[in-house]
Amino acid sequence: MKENIKIPYFPGCTLKTKAKNFEVSAIEASKMIGIELTEIPKWNCCGVVSSLSTDDLMKHIAPVRNLIRVQEMNDSGQANGNRLLTLCSMCFNSMKRTNQRVKNKPEDMKSINDFMYLEKDYLGGVEVIHYFELLDEEILGRIKEKSVKSLKDLKIAPYYGCMLLRPKDIGIDNPEEPSVMENLISSLGGKPVKWDAKSRCCGSYHTVNNKDIVINLAKGIIENARKSGADTIITSCPLCAFNLDNRQKEIIKKDHGFRTMPVFYFSQLMAVAFGLKEEFIGLDGNYIDPKPLLKEKKLI
Amino acid sequence: MSDTQKMVKVYVMGEAYMVPEGSTIVGAFEYAGFQLKRGVGCREGFCGACATVYREKGDYKLKGGLGCQTVVTDEMYIAQIPFVPADKPIYDMDEITPDAGTFMNLYPSVFRCVSCNTCTKACPQDIQVMDYIQAIIKGDIAEAANLSFDCIRCGLCALRCPAEIVQFNAAILAQRLYGKYIAPKSPELEVRANEIIEGKYVKELEELATMEKQKLVDKYYNREIKIS
Amino acid sequence: MYPEYMQESIKKVEATRPDRLELARKLGKMIYPGMNKQEREEVLNENHPDYKAEARTKVRIGPDKGMVMTTEIAEMLERYSRIDIKNFDLSKADIKTDVLVIGAGSAGMSAAIVASEQGSEVLLATKLRLGDSNSMMAQGGIQAADQADDSPIIHYLDVMGGGHFDNKPDLVKALVNDAPLSIKWLEDMGVMFDKKESGQMVVQPGGGTSRNRMHSARDYTGAAICKVIRDEVYNRADKIKYIEYTAIVELLLNDKKEVSGAVMYHLENKQFSIVKAKSVIISTGGFGRLHIRGFETSNHYGATADGIAFAYRAGAHLLYMDSVQYHPTGAVYPEQIVGFLCTEKIRAIGAQPVNKDGELFVYPLEPRDVEASAFIRECNNGKGISTPSGIKGIWLDTPLIDQINGEGTIEKELPAMLRQYQRFGIDIREVPMLVYPTLHYQNGGIDINDRCETNVPGLYVAGEATGGVHGRNRLMGNSQLDIIVFGKRAGQYASERAKTIEDAGNLSLDHVLAYNKEVEALGIERSKVSPIILPDYIPDHVKAKQLIQEYNGTLI
Ligand SMILES: Cc1cc2nc3c(=O)[nH]c(=O)nc-3n(C[C@H](O)[C@H](O)[C@H](O)COP(=O)(O)OP(=O)(O)OC[C@H]3O[C@@H](n4cnc5c(N)ncnc54)[C@H](O)[C@@H]3O)c2cc1C
Ligand code: SF4
Ligand code: SF4
Ligand code: SF4
Ligand code: SF4
Ligand code: FES
Repeated sequence: MKENIKIPYFPGCTLKTKAKNFEVSAIEASKMIGIELTEIPKWNCCGVVSSLSTDDLMKHIAPVRNLIRVQEMNDSGQANGNRLLTLCSMCFNSMKRTNQRVKNKPEDMKSINDFMYLEKDYLGGVEVIHYFELLDEEILGRIKEKSVKSLKDLKIAPYYGCMLLRPKDIGIDNPEEPSVMENLISSLGGKPVKWDAKSRCCGSYHTVNNKDIVINLAKGIIENARKSGADTIITSCPLCAFNLDNRQKEIIKKDHGFRTMPVFYFSQLMAVAFGLKEEFIGLDGNYIDPKPLLKEKKLI
Repeated sequence: MSDTQKMVKVYVMGEAYMVPEGSTIVGAFEYAGFQLKRGVGCREGFCGACATVYREKGDYKLKGGLGCQTVVTDEMYIAQIPFVPADKPIYDMDEITPDAGTFMNLYPSVFRCVSCNTCTKACPQDIQVMDYIQAIIKGDIAEAANLSFDCIRCGLCALRCPAEIVQFNAAILAQRLYGKYIAPKSPELEVRANEIIEGKYVKELEELATMEKQKLVDKYYNREIKIS
Repeated sequence: MYPEYMQESIKKVEATRPDRLELARKLGKMIYPGMNKQEREEVLNENHPDYKAEARTKVRIGPDKGMVMTTEIAEMLERYSRIDIKNFDLSKADIKTDVLVIGAGSAGMSAAIVASEQGSEVLLATKLRLGDSNSMMAQGGIQAADQADDSPIIHYLDVMGGGHFDNKPDLVKALVNDAPLSIKWLEDMGVMFDKKESGQMVVQPGGGTSRNRMHSARDYTGAAICKVIRDEVYNRADKIKYIEYTAIVELLLNDKKEVSGAVMYHLENKQFSIVKAKSVIISTGGFGRLHIRGFETSNHYGATADGIAFAYRAGAHLLYMDSVQYHPTGAVYPEQIVGFLCTEKIRAIGAQPVNKDGELFVYPLEPRDVEASAFIRECNNGKGISTPSGIKGIWLDTPLIDQINGEGTIEKELPAMLRQYQRFGIDIREVPMLVYPTLHYQNGGIDINDRCETNVPGLYVAGEATGGVHGRNRLMGNSQLDIIVFGKRAGQYASERAKTIEDAGNLSLDHVLAYNKEVEALGIERSKVSPIILPDYIPDHVKAKQLIQEYNGTLI
């Protein structure tokens, strides 16, 4: 067996606030399979908020600062390897994009380094990865081994959204036919559902100003999942989770016949399968109560 | 002022004046004949009234500092910032919670921080301003309160922030949320406050208040001293 | 950094430090015997600036004519009004309010909050910005008897003894009784007091306290409190209107000799305006910037005893205006911060006062006047250290703090102090600081009862502007307490009165006119006016060239 993996990890602000259940379940489930996530010191928000609006260099400062933190951890021997892991798909996307931009454009790298003259220069040596990229055969094997509660009765729709797959040179999988989440579900003993909406857009930030757009999109996605036989949807993006989970409140208001469906972070189902304590699964953080479903399937 | 006093040249709002070496910026203004009304409060680095922008000889950088704490250098240019008309939303401390959501409602600009660190560089109190803003974004209110504790509201950070954040107002909110909701309540204070509301000490205090002076004096000098 | 010649003395301090550390480890705070009553009187009589003959004069006019006062105060009271009364139009009020609060330190702002809570409309007028005040500057702490081994009764004795039993008993009663409630009020508003993990308050002893009773918020205690109170004032914008850079210069009385308003002076455009109010609260703080006896001061720029001047003209009685508090430890080096207050907490957590030979000469926590007099005596006896500009001082041996309490204590407990000295290249963890008494606190003030009422109906006073709470000597930490206790009381009672009043009545300055006549009869020069409003630091040779006709003694 390979040794344990200890990897610098960037939580992102949402995992520290609205999506605490994502973080706790991921950290605890990871421990079970020999992955230790070390939070990087003094990290900044990844800056995704501004990166959606403008295209200046300013938005890349925050991500580069985080990359410098990893570089420092390497230099001081606190971390081995040059990888920075994220859980949130958005953080992943925005930091990887920045990393690529400064690596490909040395003049931008220089401008940013000059601007941050109080920091050590970023040299471009860090690699940003998403958690799913750790899931090689070895790790999937460990997952299988540790899954003490079988998810075999649970039909799970993996929702990729866009941040994990697009643009192509950032994505972690084939944008048309991704399969990492399916592989994870199978290793947990669950049934991945085949469905059409797995990388359909959930409406993203429109949720702030144009709620209705998101409500319609989310309703379509959930109904597609249900039609395809799913009991639940899993995701790795707090914004997707918010749009698909919390927005069901509004969907019901508009459509009284709508049947709600629980939405999980993938790590929560890992924690369920590994038989972890409920506080490590973090079910209270989900908007649509998933407990009835889990009870029905005899999982809690 | 003795004849041997060494003088330096400073430019106050563009005009040159000779002032004694070692003067603070506030002192230089006064020596030059300005009766300051704005731009000075405590004169000891506690109130933040004296935010000043200055540039030193041979340097291109515009620096910020406290006028009462910064010593002038030869050929320094100085200009005061009388006050910063910053946004201050109104809230009821009983109705809000110690989390990022509260800031999302009251100070949404905080979440636009691009981590440029300009604020930290501007702060005359050496506060890690960016870090406390980031702590708020992460919902770590205790950390934000702790890091921002020494803020004296000089406004220099907000003046330079590209994201238009009002750091010092967010800071006092974080501190109040911490003090009210996160820090544990003092148990012994609770007990004593209740005793007082019930009037426990009224009678004995009245006795002391009407006691003959000599008796009180004796009581004082004979009181037990228990300090550690 | 300290100049070469001081280094020699510092070496001597370093040489005696190990023994003194040993002493502190063995005896705790009691490293030097405390003085008894007779010794205290002796050191005070011989050295305290107040006890010098020329320090006091009888005031020649006003409600307390004949009362012995600090010379500079008497001189300030024997001055003309700033207003040209004959040509002053009082027919229309510019602003009407229920309660007018004058001065936005913690006393005034607490009063404003409580009055607004009671339903009154409040106008808060202040000379600088909200909170630019002595309140913001307190570092050391605030007293309240909330610990199990303490009680308001013990607190009462300490306050009376500290004040040499001259305190007004009713005020002290209110002070110690309301103390825990006031701390609770502040805790509930979110003040970050220093606490242990259990929530228990961290408490230190202070000069003249018989228990550990000093609550703190690092060494920004006053700021921590004042910033929270100010934030709360902003939050009550519907009830509290505030106006900055505006000094009150005179009170207005109605025909029944009740207060009916005040005259404001806008510092920048030099305009006067008239406020009509049902109750008026004076919370204008102290007088450090009058530089009594030529002393440097720890006080903020606006501490010029304005409230005393206009309250006295309106007929209010004063108390103990013959007594001045010199804080034992004002900085004397570096020059830029001469007068800067080195909080008592420095001694409370272990720094020892030593002379130029590194010898201890006084118990570090005597009441302030006694401690200060002991420092002056030491310097007069040739045991002080002179600075390049000729001021004398004694050492406060700060490096001991970390040695006694563990490394990092100074950084954690005294961040403001550490930073202040670092700005000038002195690390107080490594070297001692040079100190001498600084003009710090106005012990006396306007006479009030425990409802903050004066003898003038409708006029309330709170905070440092009052007299009687602390007798002739205030103990550290009781002033931060007094401004909250009496600030709240003033807000409460002023608001209660305002509710019973339909209309404040007519607005008149006749009392000032009469007062001016008394001043004139003394033959005082016309250019002498008060309140002082702001001190004047423009050098004479510059002023000589300013040639301003209207120049009125202090303020252009
Ligand atoms: C450096 C320093 C350290 C201290 N440390 C401690 C301590 O550790 N513990 C303790 O208990 N006490 C301490 N004190 C004393 C204590 O802080 C003050 O006595 C107290 O804060 C006074 O509060 P106040 O509200 O009465 O007056 P202030 O806080 O001084 O407020 C008065 C306000 O009125 C304004 N004003 C004045 N005149 C006018 C006018 N004519 N019109 C309008 N506004 C006017 C002033 O500008 C000011 O804003 C310290 C004082 C100083 C200066
Ligand atoms: S993507 Fe979202 S959660 Fe991740 S750090 Fe950035 S803004 Fe915060
Ligand atoms: S939030 Fe997303 S990442 Fe998630 S799908 Fe919607 S837009 Fe894309
Ligand atoms: S944080 Fe901002 S307002 Fe506060 S002291 Fe620093 S620069 Fe001034
Ligand atoms: S200046 Fe503004 S944007 Fe830049 S780090 Fe500070 S708070 Fe963030
Ligand atoms: S005058 Fe208060 S900080 Fe400078």
